[in-house]
Amino acid sequence: MAIQILRDLRGLRVHVVHPPDAERTKLVEHLRRIGCMVEIQWPVPDSWAEGADIVLLAIEHDVRAEIQRLLKSDSSHRPTLIAVVSYEDPSTLQLVLEAGAVAVIERPIRPFGLLTNLTIARSLWLERRGAEKRVRKLERKLAGIQRIQKAKAILMDGQGLNEADAYESIRRQAMSKRLSMDDMASAIIHANELLQYRAKND
Amino acid sequence: MALGDTQENWRVGVLFSQSGVTSAIERTQLNATLLAIEEVNAGGGVLGRRVEPVMYDPASDPKKFRAFAERLFQVDRVKLLFGCYMSSTRKAVLPVVEAHRGLLFYPTLYEGFEYSRHCVYTGAAPNQNSLQLARFLLSAYGNRFLFVGSNYVYPYESNRVMSDFVSQGKGKVLDEIYVPLLPEQKDFDRVIARIKKTSPDVIFSTVVGSGTSTLYRSFRAAGFDPTRMPIASLTTSEAEVAEMGPEAAEGHVTAAPFFETMSSSAARRFVMNFKDKYGADAPVTACAEASYFQLHLAMRAIGKCGSDDPEQVLTNLRDFEFDAPQGRVRIDPENNHTYLWPRIARLDRQGRFQIVWNPGVRVKPDPYCVVQSLDDWSADDLPLIRP
Repeated sequence: MAIQILRDLRGLRVHVVHPPDAERTKLVEHLRRIGCMVEIQWPVPDSWAEGADIVLLAIEHDVRAEIQRLLKSDSSHRPTLIAVVSYEDPSTLQLVLEAGAVAVIERPIRPFGLLTNLTIARSLWLERRGAEKRVRKLERKLAGIQRIQKAKAILMDGQGLNEADAYESIRRQAMSKRLSMDDMASAIIHANELLQYRAKND
Repeated sequence: MALGDTQENWRVGVLFSQSGVTSAIERTQLNATLLAIEEVNAGGGVLGRRVEPVMYDPASDPKKFRAFAERLFQVDRVKLLFGCYMSSTRKAVLPVVEAHRGLLFYPTLYEGFEYSRHCVYTGAAPNQNSLQLARFLLSAYGNRFLFVGSNYVYPYESNRVMSDFVSQGKGKVLDEIYVPLLPEQKDFDRVIARIKKTSPDVIFSTVVGSGTSTLYRSFRAAGFDPTRMPIASLTTSEAEVAEMGPEAAEGHVTAAPFFETMSSSAARRFVMNFKDKYGADAPVTACAEASYFQLHLAMRAIGKCGSDDPEQVLTNLRDFEFDAPQGRVRIDPENNHTYLWPRIARLDRQGRFQIVWNPGVRVKPDPYCVVQSLDDWSADDLPLIRP
């Protein structure tokens, strides 16, 4: 995995969000030297740029509001974030954590350490994304299981079936109507609610 | 007071080990540096001022390298430092150079993945020797490799690079053995046993320093045939060969930009002057050649800008090409490394390197190159064995 990440560094699109100064120039030079494709942005943009794999964000207190606005924008397509910091006080750290940085580069910026931080950041971000996907999948699955449980309960109550027969009934109906079991269970739940509602109003 | 005395000398720091595990090779680098200084002074110095080396012996110890570097910058007040062989010593020295805003000239092949504004790298990066050696070995000997190296960063990274080439060549790394920097015979007995067991086509050695001789001698004593199963190296040079003797050396292979036996007029002149000063038996190595041309390069840069201020020297270094013994070299301003001429040589019965591959191609340094393709043009003219 490590070597693959290193290989992918060549051609990785890095956005450097940093005030224009000598440090930024040297930072960009070294990122290019490593083999990344670098773009520069300043002031802090409103939203995450399309096509950025990694963003190096300078945590500057005088643009705190802009940074927070950026952080609130579309969180589903967040690139890998590396913070560039000048201070270590708690309020700076708070901003760094809120930003969701997975690596940190201290000022004054030296070439040594950039490659390691890029690699670690990328690796952590990929892991996190993988974990998030798995969690979402599990949540969906869990919800699905709960729906089937509820549909089974409805059939067991309404038709006096035992659990196994209720499950079988849902399965057969789903097959004959060419629906997924989950859709069938949802239909049963909704139908039941509808019928209950009418029954209440009678 | 004579005219020459009113002007201060250009004082430069020189740090090469004259004792310890890597002293044999570092002494050749020291010799070459002093030779270059002598030549500069014989030509009238730089802008009428003599060059004065300030040197210490760090005895192959990174801590001593660091301490002497501190002394050179703080007490001796040099601005330019010429030195280091092992990566561990360069790593120890570089922060000192950076803290004093000096400039280190590092004349040794290394594992790459480094850049400092305060260092000029005049030895080969992996894309300037490993690819070429891999192509040669895969085509001339086979694709079953056994790795043996000294236990520090350079061999690990070199093995990683070579391992990738071996798999590209659909070959196999049969084993990877690391011996201490100060090895004993028993460490190599283990290696010999593994060789017997695994029967590789090639032994890729990244053993450095005095252990090199022990390895090659052990190989000889075990009765292996170097024409069928050579020890291939990036580091074994004329200096290590002098320690091991021609019998142990014969048949093995090294990749480097320079060999003592090179026939160009620039190379022969350098070797001749070197041996005139240090004796006919003094080994002239690739690391010495780098030490030699880097000193001349630095002095030429001082002459151009009139100062030994490291910033100015660095800027001026990048502006010109220089006729080094290996060929015309150039510092790459993008990464402070050097355009070099890769070559491969095999040791003959007299223990001299006979060049077996010399394409006359200068390769741009690419220190951050993670993986190279065996097909890369910079090893063209070497037959590529397709599995």
